[in-house]
Amino acid sequence: MSDQHRLEHDIKALIIEALGLEDISVDDIGSEQTLFGEGLGLDSVDALELGLAIQKKYGIKIDADAKDTRNHFTNVASLAAFVTARQVA
Amino acid sequence: MKGLKLEHLLLEPLQQRSVTTEPEMNHAQLWAQSLSLAAGLQARGIQRLAVHLEDAGLLAIALLGAWRAGVSVLLPADLQPQTRQRWDDAVDAWLVEAADLDALYQAPLSAAALDLDTCQLSLCTSGSSGEPKRIDKTLRQLANEVQALEALWGADLKDACIIGSVATQHIYGLLFRVLWPLCAGRAFVRKQLAFPEDLQRASREHPQFAWVASPALLKRMGDNLDWPALSQVSRVFSSGGALPIEAAGSLYDRLQQWPTEILGSSETGGIAWRQGAQPWQPFADVALSQDADGALRIASPYLPEGHIEQTADAARIHCDGRFELLGRLDRIVKLEEKRISLPMLEQALMAHTWVAETRLGVVQENRASLGALVVLSADGLHALRNQGRRTVTQTLRQHLSQHCEALALPRRWRLLRQLPLNAQGKLPQADVAALLLAPRPKAPDVLEHVEANGEWTVQLSIPPDLAYFSGHFPVTPVLPGVVQVEWAFNLGQQLLDLPATFAGMEVLKFQQLVRPGDQVELHLRFDQERGKLYFAYRNGVAACSSGRIQLVNAHA
Repeated sequence: MSDQHRLEHDIKALIIEALGLEDISVDDIGSEQTLFGEGLGLDSVDALELGLAIQKKYGIKIDADAKDTRNHFTNVASLAAFVTARQVA
Repeated sequence: MKGLKLEHLLLEPLQQRSVTTEPEMNHAQLWAQSLSLAAGLQARGIQRLAVHLEDAGLLAIALLGAWRAGVSVLLPADLQPQTRQRWDDAVDAWLVEAADLDALYQAPLSAAALDLDTCQLSLCTSGSSGEPKRIDKTLRQLANEVQALEALWGADLKDACIIGSVATQHIYGLLFRVLWPLCAGRAFVRKQLAFPEDLQRASREHPQFAWVASPALLKRMGDNLDWPALSQVSRVFSSGGALPIEAAGSLYDRLQQWPTEILGSSETGGIAWRQGAQPWQPFADVALSQDADGALRIASPYLPEGHIEQTADAARIHCDGRFELLGRLDRIVKLEEKRISLPMLEQALMAHTWVAETRLGVVQENRASLGALVVLSADGLHALRNQGRRTVTQTLRQHLSQHCEALALPRRWRLLRQLPLNAQGKLPQADVAALLLAPRPKAPDVLEHVEANGEWTVQLSIPPDLAYFSGHFPVTPVLPGVVQVEWAFNLGQQLLDLPATFAGMEVLKFQQLVRPGDQVELHLRFDQERGKLYFAYRNGVAACSSGRIQLVNAHA
């Protein structure tokens, strides 16, 4: 598994764990699948929870003064790219 | 004096008075556009208007314009197709985006005071039956509330820009984000800012600011925020649901002030407020009493004259007039500020052919969500056996999604053989919650067991929700052979005097699958001489599996 695949896999596991999703496994979440609204069907409270969980797990901070920080939460691939970028930063 | 009465907002244009930020709108612009909109509404003969606008500035224009034209306004909770269908006959037109207003602007009506008793606003909320409930208010009720808020906190807030994380379709957002600032002459941010980062960016742009927020946001604000900068906030309002004391305390640590919690409802408007772990302080002129069950009864200038609102909130009223809430007396729950009727969702779930019985409860974990206990019908069991658990739960979620918001969809499901009613034939809510929190079962339900000539016959029911079914296999759950052996071993230990240690298996045969909901018979016989436990599972006349388990004494 490449680093990126591993990270995406871990983020999917984090989503399932942090949001308490039942009957969904890592394999059921596509990396490009939309997380909120249609798609996986997560809501705005999940978005808040996931923001906290990602920051905690990866020891990173969402830059609250940057614009459009929530675009990173579109799907697992964009989240993985965001985590990678913040960890390097 | 900057304060204007709600009914006087359209009397004259005030160039210097700020209304919104980004894009900025001053009072003179608001005045002109409201009167132009009023003219357009009147020219088209519109008398009843539904308004759902995300831009609080446009909402202000729409409300004032409608009231000036004598048009009653309905604020639907959302724009889902069923919602639009429900109200379509009750209104003449919908304003849901800027273009809808643009199409109506005409040469303006003259400036005039608004009539406090004929101007109408209707809010929508979920009633106790679950049917959306329409609550009609006069402008007088709203004006009374705005005045009380300004009297209480106006001096503190001064020129703070009002930044909101809640929608303006509901009473709290409407009053705190729009009507109160309009009257007080405070600028407000047009957009609902649901994320902490957006709230911070908006806050930084103003020397003074106050937040109109909800527990959903306030309990999820992280360390990534610039708390020293945010601690300039003039006041943090929270309403829509209970703010946990830990969240209030954490805000106190970071902001050096307690958030101000507002207790109220669409029906009653504001009832009381508090900061930190204090009892609730009723707003001035709100008169409280209690019925025989201890539920609050409310009379207030924010209700229609002479009306006493009966709530389902149990309370203890202190002698100084402040009070504590002791919980709901009905089965309405609040999830992230959304009022949800459990009986309504249960009814909706029962309407699905796969469901024989169901009870819903709240699962308190990271976030509170709903969980469902479900007894499947024969059809439902068939679906579970042939399509798997995920298909069943997703199909039921899909079915429910026509009746409620995504937030209310049960996230946890427990499929039961029957509801474990107590001796009174009831299933208390605490038991529902406990069943939802319990892990899925790993043992069979033992219905009865009898012994004859040293052989035990045990009637077993295979729980539909056995933990082993999920991975084995996702779409065709079957009872794993290794689990059948384990059950035979465990039940043998309970019923017979057996050596304690498992030492191997012989002549294992698996002939027919055992599936969720099956009732099977387990035969157990111990051959003392050979130290072997004989087991056989049968389903009716069909043999499912059989074998021998070699047992030895622990220290043999």
